[in-house]
Amino acid sequence: MGLVGIATEKILSSFSVFLFLTILLLAVARRISTCVLLFSLQSAVITAEVLATAFQEKLVGVYVVGLLVFAIKVVAIPRAFFLLTKRLKTVRDVKASTTPTQSVFIAVAMIYLSYAAVHSYGQAVQVPDDALAAAISLILTGAFLMVSRKKALMQMLGLLVLENGIFLAALITTFGMPLVIEIGIFFDILMGLLLMGIFTFRISDTFEHLDVSKLRRLRG
Amino acid sequence: MLLLVPLAIPVLGAGLILCFRNPRVATRVALLLGALEIGALGAVVWQVHARGELRQGLYLRADGLSSFFLMGIAFISGLVLVYASGYLRHMGEGRFSSPRWFYALVFLFLFTMISVCLSANLGFLWIMMEGTTLASALLVGFYNTEGALEAGWKYLVVCTVGIAFALFGTIVLYLAAVKAGMSPAAALDWVSLMDAAPRIGLDPHLVKLAFVFVIVGYGTKVGFVPMHSWLPDAHAEAPTPISALLSAVLLNCAMYAVMRYDAIVSRAVGPAFSHTLLLIFGVTSMVVAGLLILVQQNLKRLMAYSSIEHMGIIAIGLGLGGPLGLFGALLHAFNHSVAKSLLFFGAGNVRHHVHTLRIDGIRGISRSMPQTSAALLVGGLAIVGLPPFSLFISEFAILSEAFAQARYLVVILFLVVLSVVFGGFAFHFFRMLCGEPDRDAENSRLIPSEYIAMGIAGSCLLFFGARIPYLFGLLLREAMAVLQ
Repeated sequence: MGLVGIATEKILSSFSVFLFLTILLLAVARRISTCVLLFSLQSAVITAEVLATAFQEKLVGVYVVGLLVFAIKVVAIPRAFFLLTKRLKTVRDVKASTTPTQSVFIAVAMIYLSYAAVHSYGQAVQVPDDALAAAISLILTGAFLMVSRKKALMQMLGLLVLENGIFLAALITTFGMPLVIEIGIFFDILMGLLLMGIFTFRISDTFEHLDVSKLRRLRG
Repeated sequence: MLLLVPLAIPVLGAGLILCFRNPRVATRVALLLGALEIGALGAVVWQVHARGELRQGLYLRADGLSSFFLMGIAFISGLVLVYASGYLRHMGEGRFSSPRWFYALVFLFLFTMISVCLSANLGFLWIMMEGTTLASALLVGFYNTEGALEAGWKYLVVCTVGIAFALFGTIVLYLAAVKAGMSPAAALDWVSLMDAAPRIGLDPHLVKLAFVFVIVGYGTKVGFVPMHSWLPDAHAEAPTPISALLSAVLLNCAMYAVMRYDAIVSRAVGPAFSHTLLLIFGVTSMVVAGLLILVQQNLKRLMAYSSIEHMGIIAIGLGLGGPLGLFGALLHAFNHSVAKSLLFFGAGNVRHHVHTLRIDGIRGISRSMPQTSAALLVGGLAIVGLPPFSLFISEFAILSEAFAQARYLVVILFLVVLSVVFGGFAFHFFRMLCGEPDRDAENSRLIPSEYIAMGIAGSCLLFFGARIPYLFGLLLREAMAVLQ
């Protein structure tokens, strides 16, 4: 096996470090644009993992998925987000309900929790512990961002981080779902974001703010 | 080919409707397309009945269970389209809120729900289930008021996150199937999964994990407590025909997805695990929603909580299993959708004439709008499960199954909640129907479209209570055969 072979073999677990890094930085980031950049970086790391898997397993379909991830999550979605923040002229702060210190502690706790959770399943599924733990903690972080950040845009971003985690879990355990299904899922995500974009426009028109925690007329 | 027709009509139809700017023309085209669609679905149901199963390519398939739900979709969507043709007469021409946009989105929504019932592949099922959220979110926010936007945003976010969990569950089941030696292409196919289920079940951990995620994910769309938070908002803020579609068709479609997974998991690791989970979610939803019905102040929110309660009843029927439980669950899914459409149609009329949905603002409608009140009364009596209406039969079947299995806790909770709900509905409806009307509402007579939609729904409730039609019974048995 050549050097490339060894490198790709180790990439799944060693790149988890970068994913954990983006998680921790997402927890402290105060500006929406920083978070979008971090999401873009995170997706770039995942693209590398997809391509490595494709190279190792010699699956052509997975290369296509890798290109899709790059085009959609690294390029298209972040650009759309920047466009959206510009057009909405909204405050750039994420409006976190926890302080950065608290957020980091919560993020660390979630990473620890993910390791504890995958410990029993990791051996059964025969995948590297680190990669699976990274996937689970991405899911948890996404959910955490959605509940703790008040801006509508951050809820969308949290959803994307969560989806990244699910995608990574599918990749490392099964080398991804069949290609047609994968494309369908991407299409759904794009449509979902488009709709959320439409809704953020309407919300900012009607309410003149984008703070979804103030949307609380409907109760009980 | 037959399976492609009912999918092609709504997609092409949605595009076609957008071409007609005149609201009256758009409405007529929509009604025509609806009739065509019902015909196409009828043909599918008939062919499934004749041949047992239809297949189209890798991703489309219809069997007895699909055709039972397709029949429900066809029936309810027909009623909703007829009702909507009159309901939209007051709507002006907004940017995205004109009748043509309404009908186009309704047909896209129908397309996704029909695809859910026709999908052979669990991945495709997921894609289409997410599609139902996307297609209906704009309909929920259709009025563009503050409340509608809040409800639409909440609906979109809560359901998308919920569905993401279902995706994770789907992936875990796929992983279990691949590990059990199935080829990746077949590992998402429902029939192959059913065939290989005993083999997949040799490693029960992954299968159970998958089911937990799936029931939480699709359960969000079913409206199980505690994932139900989107449901009352969406039902209350959406235009009334959409509330009827959400409650009567969408929730059933989500339940259909749960049934498909339940069948695989039951065969793989035995029915105890998945059925217990269904019972827990069912009983919780029933109890919580039943209690919340008492304190509602908005007519449509009241109906929405009643939908959660009835989804709980269906889940209990599925969780009990057995011939009677399954019979009751499937029949109840159909009966509930008919009764709830009738109630929502009535609520829509009340809103048009009284201009509010607050229960304390609605007084004496039995004098000012006698026909609508009659429909509300029939729907109300049916929804609380009184004889001679059809919901009595399905609830009775589920209850007898619970007695037969000596699950007395379920029986007691079931009966207590039913009586509480009866009290709640009697209280709210008494306040609205009786008393002096605030002012004489003019023009409270029903127009033909409302008359037809409510008349059909009401007589169907009464008729099915007296006896189940032969053909319907046949389809119901075929649906049960798929799950057993």
